[in-house]
Amino acid sequence: MKRKMIIIFLALTTAAFAADSAIYGEELITNILGYGKEGSLHLGQWFTVLQGKYFSIGFLVVALGIPAVFLIHYLIIGPKVFSHDRKKIPVFTIFHRVIHWIAGVSFLVLVPTGFIMVFGTTFGGGEFVRICKDLHALSTVLFCIAVVPMLIMWFKEMLPTMDDVKWMMILGGYLSKVKRPIPAGKFNAGQKMWFWVCTFGGILMILTGAVMFFQDFELAIIKSMGLTQIDFLRLSAIVHNILGMAVAALFFTHIYMSMFAIKGAIHSMITGDKEEEEIEILHSTYYKELKKQNKV
Amino acid sequence: MSEMSRLKFYCDEGRCIECDGCSIACAEAHELPAGINRRKVITLNEGKEGLEYSLSIACMHCNDAPCEQVCPVDCFYIREDGIVLHDKETCIGCAYCLYACPFGAPQFPREGAFGAKGAMDKCTMCAGGPLETNSEKERHIYGQNRISEGRVPVCAAMCSTKALLVGDAQEVSAIYRERVLARGHGVQTSPMTWSRAYGAK
Repeated sequence: MKRKMIIIFLALTTAAFAADSAIYGEELITNILGYGKEGSLHLGQWFTVLQGKYFSIGFLVVALGIPAVFLIHYLIIGPKVFSHDRKKIPVFTIFHRVIHWIAGVSFLVLVPTGFIMVFGTTFGGGEFVRICKDLHALSTVLFCIAVVPMLIMWFKEMLPTMDDVKWMMILGGYLSKVKRPIPAGKFNAGQKMWFWVCTFGGILMILTGAVMFFQDFELAIIKSMGLTQIDFLRLSAIVHNILGMAVAALFFTHIYMSMFAIKGAIHSMITGDKEEEEIEILHSTYYKELKKQNKV
Repeated sequence: MSEMSRLKFYCDEGRCIECDGCSIACAEAHELPAGINRRKVITLNEGKEGLEYSLSIACMHCNDAPCEQVCPVDCFYIREDGIVLHDKETCIGCAYCLYACPFGAPQFPREGAFGAKGAMDKCTMCAGGPLETNSEKERHIYGQNRISEGRVPVCAAMCSTKALLVGDAQEVSAIYRERVLARGHGVQTSPMTWSRAYGAK
């Protein structure tokens, strides 16, 4: 008897849940009537125009333009090569490296699968793109694990300083071959930019992605802001796509810097040690601090 | 073939009695899974005297279908007769079409891995999909293909008050115009044959 009651209760509550859809339920009427009307947010039209025309162009520029710029940079200016014979300075603890690589592995899945979805037609759609969509969602879990510890562990060192302005003025010295000390602490302005876009932008991308994944739910805070669920979804898709371009662009830059532009730089994230000369030149302020502390 | 007609739905709010028969006929005819409603009846201005009316809505098969514009895998196609259809085997269930749609028509069954959204489902105007016409597979994935057999979509066919109209846009508008013009006129107060049988008085 009790069991039967529970089953009836469950059946009734699930039915109520289905009827209470935040998209197909009562809100549907207001959404239809409000679409494109004066006073509405016009997010439906904005999304249609942006997704229909501009997002794919933006992603194409990121996917082809940035590697092209780096190829030209590599051929004309070339990589920076530092002596590997001097002292090795420990910069990344094992904790730093583990967290970095959890995020790193998740990005190696997130970014390509994201591009495959954006250019879904090129990849023929169907099962392959669907699997990429599922992988995109699944690897988000990995990124979720890494993003908060990463934000905390490098927070202080990533705060902007005066060095960053100077670094920006000379674009980190990457436009010349001369080895001159570059104004930067443990992290330079470029790395800081990547860090903030990756952490705060990344968290925003997790949230907007989750909104699109779960789709049909109701949040009191969103409702109180006067935003309907469908407009919340549209806004999420717009934000997710724009941030996606920024993150992808900086991700490619990060890969180029660590793997090609600075020879052997990637080893610091494997062994934890950086070459002394690399720090002396590329992180001159940090080098001075280390000297003061007699660590070099 | 140049002056191909465009098929359209139109729901006469003066006639819709909110019986919900269309959406049930649709769900039954296409054997839709629970939770998917290709067609539904909505009521506007509920409770306001004189302003309350009901409408049956589904995919409106737009001329400039925004769903087709935003689809990242281009699974939509618009037939020559204006019916907007999509290929469910190409669809990845991203729901962008839902964001673009002014009518909230696209729906997504939760069937993928970890409760991910499956391929989108919407009204086909009973015209099936891109598979072989009237094949078992087409019926299973898209539902009945009544258009290919020259039959009216099931929702409009069963509408008891003939509120829901479907067909060539110009014909639908002609029927509606006739109805509007006739409204309030020609109301029979006595049977047609009365005067013939019993005289004018």
